[in-house]
Amino acid sequence: MTDTSVLLQCQQVQLQLPGGFVLGPLSFALSAGKIYGLLGANGAGKSTLLQVLAALKSPNRGQVLLQQHPLQQLEPNARARQLAYLSQQQPPTDMTVQQLLQLGLMPHKALWQADSSSDKAAMQAALSQVGLADKAAALLRHLSGGEQQRAHLARVLVQQARILLLDEPVNHLDIRYQHQLLATLRSSGLTVLASFHDINLAAAYCDELLMLQHGQLLAAGTPAEVLQPQLLEQVYGRPCMVDHSPFGQHCRVTFAPERR
Amino acid sequence: MTRHRVLQLLLLAGALAVSVLTALHIGVVDLPLWSLLTGQATDPLPQQIFWQLRLPRVMLAGLAGAALALCGALLQLLSRNELADPYLFGVVSGAALGATISSLLFPALALALPASAFAGALIAILLVLTLAQRATAQGMQSLSTLLLTGLAVSFCASAIASLLLYQADSFAANRIIFWLMGSLSHADWLAVKLLAIALIVTIVVCSLGRRQLMALAWSDDMAKSLGVAVSRWRLLLLLLCALLTAVVVAYCGGIGFVGLMIPHLIRLMFGGQILTLLFGSALGGAIFLIWVDTVARSALAPQELPIGILTALCGSAFFLLLLSRRRSPNE
Repeated sequence: MTDTSVLLQCQQVQLQLPGGFVLGPLSFALSAGKIYGLLGANGAGKSTLLQVLAALKSPNRGQVLLQQHPLQQLEPNARARQLAYLSQQQPPTDMTVQQLLQLGLMPHKALWQADSSSDKAAMQAALSQVGLADKAAALLRHLSGGEQQRAHLARVLVQQARILLLDEPVNHLDIRYQHQLLATLRSSGLTVLASFHDINLAAAYCDELLMLQHGQLLAAGTPAEVLQPQLLEQVYGRPCMVDHSPFGQHCRVTFAPERR
Repeated sequence: MTRHRVLQLLLLAGALAVSVLTALHIGVVDLPLWSLLTGQATDPLPQQIFWQLRLPRVMLAGLAGAALALCGALLQLLSRNELADPYLFGVVSGAALGATISSLLFPALALALPASAFAGALIAILLVLTLAQRATAQGMQSLSTLLLTGLAVSFCASAIASLLLYQADSFAANRIIFWLMGSLSHADWLAVKLLAIALIVTIVVCSLGRRQLMALAWSDDMAKSLGVAVSRWRLLLLLLCALLTAVVVAYCGGIGFVGLMIPHLIRLMFGGQILTLLFGSALGGAIFLIWVDTVARSALAPQELPIGILTALCGSAFFLLLLSRRRSPNE
């Protein structure tokens, strides 16, 4: 029985890191067009899971299937046309914003191909989407942290992959751009798996949530199913209350502050 | 590339052309350059000097400088280490060991020295790559492993070479030591052709793989996630560097500092954009070595100074000057 809407599937994926941390075994599937939020405390394995799904780390056991094909067997270029990945921290670089976006187009280019006018239009469109239309020629390291993050997001968008794996995409972004970015992702129709620390942001924009703890999948489902006070207290170690946001039917979590 | 950068490279190319013409003109014997180039000269001696000595020598100087600087820039990008240079990967020590063995075994054979130096260089770099690959497969950091393996192989090869020299007669030892100081006096058309071919192949690969190079210079993970076959590209580029350096070392001996210094100079002058850095380094290296060789063969004429001594001397002095003037980006 195969579900045709499943794009990416983890089958009993297990990975042991040198420090002794063990991720998994994990099994879940990502369906086309949905936005998934990856939650969990620090060190729960969110980034490691995203790296495994992006084929940057190979699991010791189990496998990841991209549309029924084992991920590790795909040619790097073919994989990059399907999967775009944004790491949590971007290594420093001497590139301009324009050059970063050209890298995003790389999986679609033969070695000898120059950028076409439609490529340039696509890059400009991606930059407009993240509010950096006038910064194409700027050096990345001259931009602010938030602007850099948006430039990297534009690179992910221009890659035209069906699945986006984003490690804390709203990192460094101010409130306005946090919402703008997530709204852009939701209206794009792409499949997104993004890690979050802001549970309320995840609850407002994600179709489903995955909760990790100590490398294990603790809960998965709609935000209403996953965001249970008991579970949240178990994960984050703080008592909390879950109600509905005044701006819609999505869940709102309020953690109890430490007493003064 | 922007118009600005093309202009910078054209400027360097112009400087190279001027350097070549000047270097062809300077020498022990005054040559009627114009009539030689237009074929109007009838005297066979200047013709011979020009076509068999001076022209191949100036061309070899330019090509060797370009090759060393281009390799230096490439290795600095690939290893993301500003101190990487072609000599870090055991190439020179391997070549020196090969040269030592051949001068001890076949002291009379002229071609044996460059041939065995080349073989030694290639064996050394292949050894480094294989050992580093194996260590990386066991989970070690690939870049630092590569550099450290290079250093270890380098030390090992020089130790063996020193041991052999220590046991050898002083004539062979002298020959090797002089060869290690570097000289372009063995320049011939075969060397020029070999180096030109290797250089053109490398430049073509770099131009085609400019996006891959940019991603590799940034981060392995980013390159992988952007669809670059990281280990394949790195191996290809390292092998090209090894080949270029091996040819240079085999024909010219040890010419240090060009691969380290020129890319830094270009970065300081023109910024760190990849294509400007690579092609700028190649042009800058060619100009630098042509001038240094001109000084080496004319300063104490008819005696020749070993070119490696001069590159190291002017290189380090110039470099220290630059460093003392450089402001850190945070200031």
